[in-house]
Amino acid sequence: MKRKLQAIAVLLAFGAVKLPLEQKITRDLRQQKMLEEPIHLGVGEDLGQAGLAASLGGLRGLAACMFHLRAHVEFTNVNWAKVDSLYKLVTRLQPRQARYWDEASWHMAYNAASYYLYNQELKPALRGQLYHDHIKRGIAILHEGLKFLPDDPRLWQKLGELHWHRSKDFKKSGDAFWNSFQHGGLGFTERFAAYAWAQSNDLESWKKGYAILKRLYDKSGPTPGLVEHLKMLEQNLNLPASQRIRAAAAVLRGQERQTGPLK
Amino acid sequence: MSDAPTSPNTEAQTRVRFSPRRVWTLAMATVTQLVRMKILAFLVVFCLLAVGAGFAFSVINPEQQLNLLKSVTLGSLQIFSIVIGVVSTALLLPKDMEDRTLYTILSKPVPRFDYLLGKLIGVLLLIGGGLIVMDAVLSLILWLRQSMLFEDAVARMQMEKLDSPEAVAQVREIVARQGLTWNLHWAVWAIFLKATVVTTVALLLSSIASSTLFTIVITFCITIIGHGEALIREFFFQPNLSGMASRAATLVLAVICPDLAQFDIVDSVVSGEIVPWGAVYDMTGIAALYVTVYLFVTHLLFVEKEL
Amino acid sequence: MADTPAVSVNHLTKVFKGTLVKGAFRAVQDLSLEVKAGEVYGLIGPNGSGKSTTMKVILGLLKPTQGSTSIFGVPSTEVASRHSVGFLPENPYFYKHLTGRETLHFYGSLCGMRGERLKARTDEMLAITGLEDAATRRVGGYSKGMLQRLGLAQALIHEPRLLVLDEPTAGVDPAGSRKIRDLIIEFRARGITVLVTSHLLEQMQEVCDRVGIMAHGRMVREGRLEDLIAVENQTEMVLENASPALLTKINALIQAEGGDTKLVRSGRPRTTLERLFIEATNESKKP
Repeated sequence: MKRKLQAIAVLLAFGAVKLPLEQKITRDLRQQKMLEEPIHLGVGEDLGQAGLAASLGGLRGLAACMFHLRAHVEFTNVNWAKVDSLYKLVTRLQPRQARYWDEASWHMAYNAASYYLYNQELKPALRGQLYHDHIKRGIAILHEGLKFLPDDPRLWQKLGELHWHRSKDFKKSGDAFWNSFQHGGLGFTERFAAYAWAQSNDLESWKKGYAILKRLYDKSGPTPGLVEHLKMLEQNLNLPASQRIRAAAAVLRGQERQTGPLK
Repeated sequence: MSDAPTSPNTEAQTRVRFSPRRVWTLAMATVTQLVRMKILAFLVVFCLLAVGAGFAFSVINPEQQLNLLKSVTLGSLQIFSIVIGVVSTALLLPKDMEDRTLYTILSKPVPRFDYLLGKLIGVLLLIGGGLIVMDAVLSLILWLRQSMLFEDAVARMQMEKLDSPEAVAQVREIVARQGLTWNLHWAVWAIFLKATVVTTVALLLSSIASSTLFTIVITFCITIIGHGEALIREFFFQPNLSGMASRAATLVLAVICPDLAQFDIVDSVVSGEIVPWGAVYDMTGIAALYVTVYLFVTHLLFVEKEL
Repeated sequence: MADTPAVSVNHLTKVFKGTLVKGAFRAVQDLSLEVKAGEVYGLIGPNGSGKSTTMKVILGLLKPTQGSTSIFGVPSTEVASRHSVGFLPENPYFYKHLTGRETLHFYGSLCGMRGERLKARTDEMLAITGLEDAATRRVGGYSKGMLQRLGLAQALIHEPRLLVLDEPTAGVDPAGSRKIRDLIIEFRARGITVLVTSHLLEQMQEVCDRVGIMAHGRMVREGRLEDLIAVENQTEMVLENASPALLTKINALIQAEGGDTKLVRSGRPRTTLERLFIEATNESKKP
């Protein structure tokens, strides 16, 4: 009996000691990005998340994988609403996995949007409406993902591409590429930021883009894309001839400017 | 047989000390027993699963495929290690008692602590061995898959004339980050640590439990609560928490259960995070602490147990 | 050293604590006994009389509620007391996935034996208990008698000076039981002290020097076997090839003696059923 009491005492004393220690280790591991930050979205959602985390233990990745495969099945069935809701579940389970945000947004902004745009069974007005709605949804998904992963170069890059190819908002595209580069994105994201800015309507963006491209030009010499956009910027900024670069290249996309903000 | 019993008297007079050799004997007997019970058949199932997860879903993109392979296999590693740890620990101790094997062991000069430690180490050796084998299989398949996928992707890009050095570099970067790295082995180490803590909890419970089922059920309950212990703890540490009752209830749960979520680095590893040494030290240290304390408590409960 | 009893039990009381549904149970009540070094001591009594509890306390598997026990002077509560004792529990089971040899290796290593010494001792024990042929078979396939002999081998592996046997012949066929009793007699010849419990009285009678009879947790009789079972005022005489005439003469002599002397019984002595069984089964083995 004496030993039993001792055992209980040891267990309780250890419990009191371990709590602050666990608190510290959990904090450290979160800082090292080994564990997920606790998620604060809203009261209801928070509780659901907590319950899910607790009940699945370390198997959330596995569960996410399963839902992800189901989403792929729904994708082949072109059931876009279902794809969206399954990806919502997947990203809730693994909010720190950039690829899930990337894929979710890609499905909406590219696959679903194009599907509606070219769907002959729908009225033209509706097709355009659905096209834009799904692009918006894709952008919203990336923004949501960036709340969890503000430093992820990949998500920023994808946002840049989305604004470039889909919404044609070149200022936002340039900003996103620039963010990607700032957070360790691959080298081309810097150049793409400048290219996008070159096509925007914003004076400040032009200046930033010009600074980048001029530096790259001086460093590594002329390449077709670089020269094209540099010329474009020189024209936009109305630079005197003496400051312009020598390499002559046709300004190919002079007329194809930004289409204006998304409606 | 020798003509007279020669057991030296001096031996009988001295205190019996802890002996690593004896613990090892007990551990190896446990391993032999479990291996011959064909418990490692799970390994075959695992290998099939790994091959399946690696090659079955070729429709999705390379990154997804590698990710899926890692998620599925690491997930099943976790299930394997915890289930084996809990079930074999819960079975072995009561079985020794039922079969009176425990009597023959403890009527030899074997301190009860040596017996407990031997059993624990035996189960952990089995789990560790299983994990090493599975880690090797997973690494091999991942490496094969990684090289195949990279070549495929580059070939496709060449066909579509999209193989700029930058694009190839990006694919290489993604595949390398998702492919075989040291981080994967650290994830397996974290899985082992978690299984170790859970197994020790099972040992503690089986030293007081009257039935195997009780041990298994309660250990799994503690395992589930243990994964949510961080939430309970943070709830407790909230400054403006109202109600003594809810505070006391959370305190009791948080004090009793180990925080198993500390070892859940698998998701981060799957998504390609680099495991720093600090994290490895932290996890290993806290696991060692849990095991030491729980084993000590088990010893206190077992040393006076009436057999 | 010679005076130190192999086992001493002093005023032992063992009470098992009750639960909510069941009250406490007193298994042994103020029991004292001593087993001298070199003798075979039989502890007999009906089931539930406290024999096994007493043994478990002696082996340190249970803690006494009151009183104390010791083995060769070392208190049973100390692990060191187990150096000089080997124990064979009732109906022993071993790790059934190990072979007979592995089992003996396992128990030998637990006692700190290793290398050549362990190997030699294992072979020796297999030979003594007649398990050489079964040494490489898994214990799961052993018969009850083989398990019992393996149990004896593991109990003896570390050359203890005391053997504690709990119902060693229970559930074993007569030939196996005979073999075990022969082994006990052999152990005594080699100077090993044996403490044995059984409820098979006839078998105990054959091997024990002294017996203690337990009932309801108490010792009710104790002493040398001959003293306990000898009928003081009777004499037995077994004759071979005696003619009827001789028998008549003897009868006449007894009657002539007069007084209290009288012939209680005469006739052919019967062989025991056990002896018959062993002879018959051995004959059938011969071609």
